[in-house]
Amino acid sequence: MTSASDGKKPLRYSVRGKQSQFFSAEGVDELVSITMALAQELWVVKERLAAYESLATKKKLFTQKELDGLKVTPAQRAKMDAESQAFIDRIFFVLRERVEGLAADPDEPAPPKEP
Amino acid sequence: MTKYVHHDLKIDPTPEEAARQAFMSSMRLYVLHDMANGMRTVYENAVEPDFKRKNRRAPKDGVEVHRALKNDTTFKFYSSMRCNVQEMVFRSILPTVERNQDALNKKAKTLSRSKKAKGSVQTDPNFEVPRSVAAIDVHLMPGNYDTEYGPDDVTQGAVYDNGISVFSMGFFGDNLDDIGSSISLFIKNRYPKFKPARILDMGCTIGHNTVPWAKTYPKAEVHAIDVGGPVVRYGNARAQSEGVSVHFHQQNAEETTFEDESFDLIFSSMFLHEVPKKGIKKVFKEARRLLKPGGLMLHMELPPNKMLGPYDQFYLDWDSYYNKEPFYKLFRDADPRAVCAEAGFAKSKFVQYIIPSLGQYGEKAVKDSVKQQTGKADDQTGRFAAGIHWYCFGAWK
Repeated sequence: MTSASDGKKPLRYSVRGKQSQFFSAEGVDELVSITMALAQELWVVKERLAAYESLATKKKLFTQKELDGLKVTPAQRAKMDAESQAFIDRIFFVLRERVEGLAADPDEPAPPKEP
Repeated sequence: MTKYVHHDLKIDPTPEEAARQAFMSSMRLYVLHDMANGMRTVYENAVEPDFKRKNRRAPKDGVEVHRALKNDTTFKFYSSMRCNVQEMVFRSILPTVERNQDALNKKAKTLSRSKKAKGSVQTDPNFEVPRSVAAIDVHLMPGNYDTEYGPDDVTQGAVYDNGISVFSMGFFGDNLDDIGSSISLFIKNRYPKFKPARILDMGCTIGHNTVPWAKTYPKAEVHAIDVGGPVVRYGNARAQSEGVSVHFHQQNAEETTFEDESFDLIFSSMFLHEVPKKGIKKVFKEARRLLKPGGLMLHMELPPNKMLGPYDQFYLDWDSYYNKEPFYKLFRDADPRAVCAEAGFAKSKFVQYIIPSLGQYGEKAVKDSVKQQTGKADDQTGRFAAGIHWYCFGAWK
């Protein structure tokens, strides 16, 4: 992000106005945002690691410049995109589990009633 | 470069920025596909049966579906994550745009003067941006279409271009022009004798769906208008870099400076739902004023609610409540045929089409669809999923 000290007007990153709130418990909406940002940053680490591994395998030795200059091929991109779908599914598994639970065997015995 | 921005205004993200952008496309796919399908399953298996038990009938429209789903945890996660995804899409490209801001402005100026094409751009420093744009960040895009960071600024054009590149997950095609390309190809085949000499695109933003009309009708003089100065400047440079001549103007479609009966074809895409109801009436009247007798007005939009069942109404209305597109539902609740008639178009001259995406189905399918119009929307119409169809409507004058 450009700082205001260089004399330029910094770009606005935040959206104006009231944010939607979906959860009644305080802070849950913010926790969802933070979790998603964490997931994104973790993905960045995974991509960078993949880049390191790719270069390490290829050359055994590399420089920072070489690393930053590495271009992902369309085939590598497609592979990464497929992997990221699986990665997302792992993180948000609890949501899929809830949906799949609805399609569970209707003959499953009901759990005992709470005392 | 951002995945679908290939022209001369492309900007290079760092490897980390590129990873963030790629992740957001994947995340959007997960939310709009996996989570959206999950929410429908929850609705059909739990929420709707519960509603029927309590009310002895099914929900009658999207509002009732929304009300019934609102307290469900899956809806809350879907909605919360969809809002976050939308904001994060733009945040993933903003640092790349910000770092390249000066270079982009310089490049746009050079391209607008280049001889590669004969396009032009006119902006007005005293132009009054309507409140519907100036007061909100439409679809959660920081800065919207109109924020000017300096003189002759194109920043918000770059934010929009690179933003929709990440947002579209490929469904807008390799050049983000699938809507314009599919619809112009359809019209050329549906009306082979119709050869528009002057074309106007209203609410064009960066002209990504204007350029295909100029390519489909290369002899036509093509104009494009938008209230955002940065987007029309960027659009002009973008078209120039593609070697396509389009004349961009910073103008409000509700009241333009063009002469009566000066266009053969007036088009818009994804524009009307961002205009308040009063404004839409003015836009249609203006389109009628500008059209030559025998001319065609055509608007691409999401299908109206009356074409959809209650769940799909709710699903497409979601943006109106949570995506800072407050006029979306009001527009989709209206009857397109009535809106055209109210502006003076004859009811018998009304047209509406559902057109397969050129990028996904290919040229033959678009041409074949000329004879396969049923007038019915399906759950692929307007939804960002495999097999998308584009809905458009309008009238002949």
